[in-house]
Amino acid sequence: MLALLFGLVTMALVFDAATKPTNVAEAANVDAAQIADGQRLFENSCITCHGANLQGVLDRGPSLVGVGQAAAYFQLSTGRMPAPENGAQMPRKLPVFTPDQIDDLAAYIQANGGGPEIPTTGLRDDSQVAMGGELFRLNCASCHNFTGQGGALSQGKYAPALNEATDEQIWGAMLSGPENMPKFGDGQLTAQEKAAIVSYIQNNKATIDPGGLPLGGFGPAPEGLIAFLVGMGAIVAATLWMGSRT
Amino acid sequence: MSTDQHAVPDEAELAAMSREEKATAGLAVDHVDLDEYGPVAVPGSPMDKRNERRVAAWFLLAGLLGLLFAVAFIWWPHEYVPAYQDGQLAYALYTPIIGATMGGAILCFGIGVVQLARKIFAHEVAIQQRHIGMSAAFDRQTLAAQVLDTVDKSGLKRRGVLKGALALAGGALGLVAAIPILGALIKNPWEERADSPLWVTPWAPLADGTKVRLTQLDGTPVRPEDLEAGSMSTVFPGVPGGAKASDAAVMLFRVRSDSVVRIRDGQQGFQYGDYYAFSKICTHVGCPVSLYEQQTGRVLCPCHQSQFNLYEGMFPVFGPATRPLPQLPIELDDEGYFVAAKDFVEAVGPGFWENGKFPAWYSEPKEATG
Repeated sequence: MLALLFGLVTMALVFDAATKPTNVAEAANVDAAQIADGQRLFENSCITCHGANLQGVLDRGPSLVGVGQAAAYFQLSTGRMPAPENGAQMPRKLPVFTPDQIDDLAAYIQANGGGPEIPTTGLRDDSQVAMGGELFRLNCASCHNFTGQGGALSQGKYAPALNEATDEQIWGAMLSGPENMPKFGDGQLTAQEKAAIVSYIQNNKATIDPGGLPLGGFGPAPEGLIAFLVGMGAIVAATLWMGSRT
Repeated sequence: MSTDQHAVPDEAELAAMSREEKATAGLAVDHVDLDEYGPVAVPGSPMDKRNERRVAAWFLLAGLLGLLFAVAFIWWPHEYVPAYQDGQLAYALYTPIIGATMGGAILCFGIGVVQLARKIFAHEVAIQQRHIGMSAAFDRQTLAAQVLDTVDKSGLKRRGVLKGALALAGGALGLVAAIPILGALIKNPWEERADSPLWVTPWAPLADGTKVRLTQLDGTPVRPEDLEAGSMSTVFPGVPGGAKASDAAVMLFRVRSDSVVRIRDGQQGFQYGDYYAFSKICTHVGCPVSLYEQQTGRVLCPCHQSQFNLYEGMFPVFGPATRPLPQLPIELDDEGYFVAAKDFVEAVGPGFWENGKFPAWYSEPKEATG
């Protein structure tokens, strides 16, 4: 009996040892040099507002613990970070860092607290554009407009236009919920559904408007305004012309 | 019908008149004198030829555009080509091309007709004598007598059946116009009493007491772990037709665990942990509110810019809405999915004729979670 117990314990130990290398191998994917580079960049450019330990600084910047690679990539690649000043909202601008530097910083953020990561494959699913459109209209269109042109929120905030957004940036925004955008975790919108939404947005942008000038894609307000000004203007002009000739 | 008519030529005189003389005589009967009348330009002069060329050019252009329209309508690629494929531009140009050619043809023809009248047809200045004030008493009385005499001679006054039939026809035609409006009043919305759809939303527990699950658009039931902190999901009642019910759309929020949310009187415990469910239908005119600012907790309505604050019990903080969004009481079922504990405790959406029945609608939120 003792021998059996001994045997079981040994087997458990062996099994434990056999499974451990897998975990080690996963950890080995993390590039220590890249993280160190990212930390150097962080300490030069981000530490003032986000703190020495990513814990954030009151009234300057939020904690970055747990925001993950998705948030870091989105904020840095759209140029929203580093921010020149605090305001209602950070505008999109040319990125300050190179793509390599952004990857370094994102690796550093990811290594300290983890968080959502943008997948490297399967960002789009062009076969599901219709489903993507339905999900976009339910989840995204209320703020970003049904043509992805964005719109106003309260007190100077706004939902930005998606014209320049890349596949990765849309994924990053959905996963991290930047600023006032709600998060869309994988439990709420599965990876397949996110890929369909990205496909819909990008297909929409690549589709030539068959109606001619989209007038900003804002819908009936500018269209009605143009119809009123141009149409009524033409009628008034024609009336004046006829009156002047008789 | 004038009393002082010009002398009308008799048959022999008429036969002797030229066409031009007849035209002038016709005008003279109506007291019209032609002061100036003649060609715009001297026939055969350079101006005359230039006018002719210009008018002809407009008509030629109209004809050409009309032909182009027909050609484009038949042969231009009109079948849908999706993005990222060759031929998308050609397809996208189909509508503008047929529109421009048809519109252009009509416009050119119209300009051509106007130019024809101005540059080719004879130039004329006509003067017509008009009497001042009313027609002469003789004219007025004879006209009125003619009209009334027609009615008398028809004998309508003694034909009762015809009059009745005519009245019936007129009344029925009026009914045709009014029935779309009156027809909606036939169905009694109170027939089902307490179960009337005016009172009950699809969130009400089923007849056997089963509580209705919160599901996504495709019917997937929602668990707490599906939502990240700082997220909002639009959910629908998990019953047939739930996603299409106009009063059932609900926003399910998960706030951060350090958020403080104030709760309205009598609605304590409607939330589940950090999860809150509120109607998506604006209390102003019923638009879907869903512009959720996850940091400020504000939910904006896109129609008239009403704003509700989740942290203030979804009270309206800006815009025309006057009542808070109704809160749906939620809990978990045995399998760990969200269900509605009961129906809304107040009416969803804008104006309702039993408004004011629930005093809680007007009470400020007092208690706070935290």
